[in-house]
Amino acid sequence: MTSYILRRLAQLVPVLFLASIGIWAMVYAVPGSPVGAIVGENATPEQIADTIQRLGLDRPFYEQYWSWLSGAVLGDLGESIQSREPVLDLILTRVPATIQLGLAAILVGLVLGVPVAVVSALVPGSLIDRMLSGWSALALGVPTFWLGILLILLFGVQLHWLPSVSTYIPFFEDPVGALENLLLPALTLGTYVSGIFARFLRASLLGELKADYVRTARSKGLRERDVVGRHVMRNALLPFVTIVGLMLAAFVGGTVVTEAVFTYPGIGRLLIQAIGVRDYPLIQGCILFVLVIYVLMNVLVDVLYAYIDPRIEYR
Amino acid sequence: MADGGGADPPVLRVRNLSVTFTGSGRDVPAVRGIDFDVRAGEVLGIVGESGSGKSVTALAATGLLPPTARLSGSIRMGAVEVTTADAETLRTMRGRDVGMIFQDPTTTLNPVLPIGRQVIEGQVAHGLVPADQAMSRAAGLLREVDIPDPEARIAQYPHQFSGGMRQRAVIAMAMAGSKRLIIADEPTTALDVTVQAQVLAVLAKRQAQTGAAVILITHDLGVVAETADRVAVMYGGRIVETGEVADIFRHPRHPYTVGLLHSLPRLDIVAERLVPIPGQPPAPARLPSGCAFHPRCPIGRARDICRQDDPRLRELADRQTAPGHAAACHFPDEVQALLAQVAPKAAATAAPPAPDQAVPLLEVEGLHVHFPIRTGLLRRQTGTVRAVDGVSLVVRAGETLGLVGESGCGKTTTGRAIMGLVRATAGSVRFAGEEVTTMAPPALRRARRNMQYIFQDPYASLNPIKTVGDIVAEPLRIHKLFDGMGGMKRVAELFELVGLSATMLGRYPAEFSGGQKQRIGIARALALSPRLLILDEPVAALDVSIQAQVVNLLQDLQKELGLAYLFIAHDLSVVRHICDRVAVMYLGRIVEQSDKATLYATPTHPYTQSLLSAVPVPDPSRRGPGGKGGADRIVLEGDIPSPARPPTGCTFHPRCFRAEPRCAIESPIFRDFPGLPTQVACHFAGPRAMAPT
Repeated sequence: MTSYILRRLAQLVPVLFLASIGIWAMVYAVPGSPVGAIVGENATPEQIADTIQRLGLDRPFYEQYWSWLSGAVLGDLGESIQSREPVLDLILTRVPATIQLGLAAILVGLVLGVPVAVVSALVPGSLIDRMLSGWSALALGVPTFWLGILLILLFGVQLHWLPSVSTYIPFFEDPVGALENLLLPALTLGTYVSGIFARFLRASLLGELKADYVRTARSKGLRERDVVGRHVMRNALLPFVTIVGLMLAAFVGGTVVTEAVFTYPGIGRLLIQAIGVRDYPLIQGCILFVLVIYVLMNVLVDVLYAYIDPRIEYR
Repeated sequence: MADGGGADPPVLRVRNLSVTFTGSGRDVPAVRGIDFDVRAGEVLGIVGESGSGKSVTALAATGLLPPTARLSGSIRMGAVEVTTADAETLRTMRGRDVGMIFQDPTTTLNPVLPIGRQVIEGQVAHGLVPADQAMSRAAGLLREVDIPDPEARIAQYPHQFSGGMRQRAVIAMAMAGSKRLIIADEPTTALDVTVQAQVLAVLAKRQAQTGAAVILITHDLGVVAETADRVAVMYGGRIVETGEVADIFRHPRHPYTVGLLHSLPRLDIVAERLVPIPGQPPAPARLPSGCAFHPRCPIGRARDICRQDDPRLRELADRQTAPGHAAACHFPDEVQALLAQVAPKAAATAAPPAPDQAVPLLEVEGLHVHFPIRTGLLRRQTGTVRAVDGVSLVVRAGETLGLVGESGCGKTTTGRAIMGLVRATAGSVRFAGEEVTTMAPPALRRARRNMQYIFQDPYASLNPIKTVGDIVAEPLRIHKLFDGMGGMKRVAELFELVGLSATMLGRYPAEFSGGQKQRIGIARALALSPRLLILDEPVAALDVSIQAQVVNLLQDLQKELGLAYLFIAHDLSVVRHICDRVAVMYLGRIVEQSDKATLYATPTHPYTQSLLSAVPVPDPSRRGPGGKGGADRIVLEGDIPSPARPPTGCTFHPRCFRAEPRCAIESPIFRDFPGLPTQVACHFAGPRAMAPT
């Protein structure tokens, strides 16, 4: 197992290397320059030249890339052009907020999605199945920014139950305050993801319910709830774990739109701000961070598989 | 054996049972008015082909049919009337009184739960075993079905069990507690013949211990002949004939039963040609009028009464048959004449081919296919799967070589390596004198024109989104010969050649039955006018009556086109029927090879002898006096070892009844056996002198 994990991590090196080239090239392919944003509209040519030199933008492309890459390997993602703070510090201050929101959203998604899937799968084709399937399609289809705005209008502006601007309060310091601030963005993301979860798990359950071992379980005279709960569920969850893992990675990597709607201080909003001022090092750092989270989450899901599926053995 | 008029009430009593499926818009009758009883200690064999309603009957008896099924009639299981009982009563009945064994033990067990828990959970759920004793009881149940080291095994998962052990675990599960009825639905169909013998022995042992009634559903007449006390033959949702097993086999009185017996290749009778039942079993949704069998029946095909009137199951009045023997036929007396008329003619000392003069078309020498096992951080090779480990064989023009062995012995890999579909690690494959293993891809493609492969599963080997005409034309197009060989005219010819109508060219595979799909597969393989066909279990997935049709087709094609066949199969009866010479494989090597007559009459390798003795013979009178199974049967212990860790010396020695210390050390050489046209790899090769006991 350890050897498997080490091997998977070693495989990440070429992936991340290729990705770093992509990230670098992508930012440079976009027209415009951060210099204008820094020096302002009335800058003199000298000021502009100074800034260009200070940022190293006059050096050849490959030299810039190399100095960035060699720094990144050692954990130095450079300095933000805007705030002059180290990029890594900026990202790390946003990480807890993003993780907290991501976990809360996944939790909401599971609470809303799993029961819908189970009920639907037990009575496929029935009226209740069609209604629930309609609901998951709706949850999936409604744009998150629109749902977020609706929720703010209702609970924030009309009822004044919850803040319409969410800030990050660590859950373990102030659970009530954290929940007040988390509830609306988590509900927004959770509703969306519950649609994905419900559809995915329903399909998975329906497939498993046709399996021979289900007939065996029934032939033993087990109660239907034990047939589903003990036999079917565990098998149906195997593919489901993948999708939950990927959605979690997506949320922890920052949810640009939702964070913007709620002005929530996560990675997503950091990235938007960085793009707004063309803060190249910060943009690159954010994207690299999101990428690393994604790949690590994939490894984590694969490792988790070995624990829930006895057939999988990593060597 | 239970007699028909026993005093005990039957364990299961079915009267006028009909099952109709209503889900798909119109009513599909799956079972149409059947009656039968099963008594304690008795084995009732239900025989039938796909769609005959035999599995539906089993599910109906336990209340496990889906909600779209509509039942009428009566099923009495003890005090419970199954057709009207509520769900809770049925659940209790299933848990306490009925055990079920299904076909494929790889799918009937839940892959993510430990075996022990699955074996005992039904008993625990019904309060028959306290939860704190569950695991020790589970271990005890596994011991009853001869699973070694059960205390350690209960914590393992199904994938850690071999196929035979899984099915024994399922038997342990089904027969836990004091079950009164066991329903076994094709319990050995997915298993190898030596493992089948083990599993049937365990089933009989547990039945003797528990005194349960057993319903054994199967398509295999050999298994029925060996294990059943009474038989019910089903066709088109009805029981068409029923009676004591010996009586049914000796005096069949329904033309379908006669047809089944005659379409079966047998180990004990050599027939020149099988007599298949024409046509195919009817789908329940499209049953013929009158007697459902009349379109395929030599007696009733042209008679109005058979076309219009569905005969009832009536007890026979003739002097030969035993009491309790009933048939649903308007003309049972004529069946007797039919029996003599269409009986397979014994092969009239067929002139043995003169193999020495014939030119070798395919020569395989020392073929090895090894797959590396890689582990660890650096994927170093830490082992080798020796799938094929030194196979040499010769197929001459126009002859059939049978390659037989159990699953995992490497026979399929051998076939694929000959085709170049997997790379040979070592050895040589010469086709018409040319070395194939070292050919460059374009030359290999040209060589493959002359060797074609036919797959086992006709359902999976045809692309479902192409018309069958395109499927058959594809090899011609790939080799850019479509126009050169006559285009669609050629395809139409191929269809006629395999007995299909050229009007079917535009249809899709889903519209064809299994036998027709296999014919399409054969037409595709013949498209390029090959000289050698490698047939990998070509009839294993087909019903008995259809299997006979395809076997006959293959024989006709061989005669007509002068084809050579490499016939890969596990079914020794089919191989005996179709092959000229036979090679027996075990764990990647050929252990014995001879001409057909010699190999079946005088096998010299202990493995060949075990295989042959394990095949159930469809003749109840040959059942041994010691009860079910026969007295001179060799039941091999254990399973085929993994080719990644083959035993030392002779790889068969751990299971061999003749093994001596030398066998564990020294690998035997494959050489001529004096006095016979046989080559064998065994230190103690020789005919079976007497029954080892």
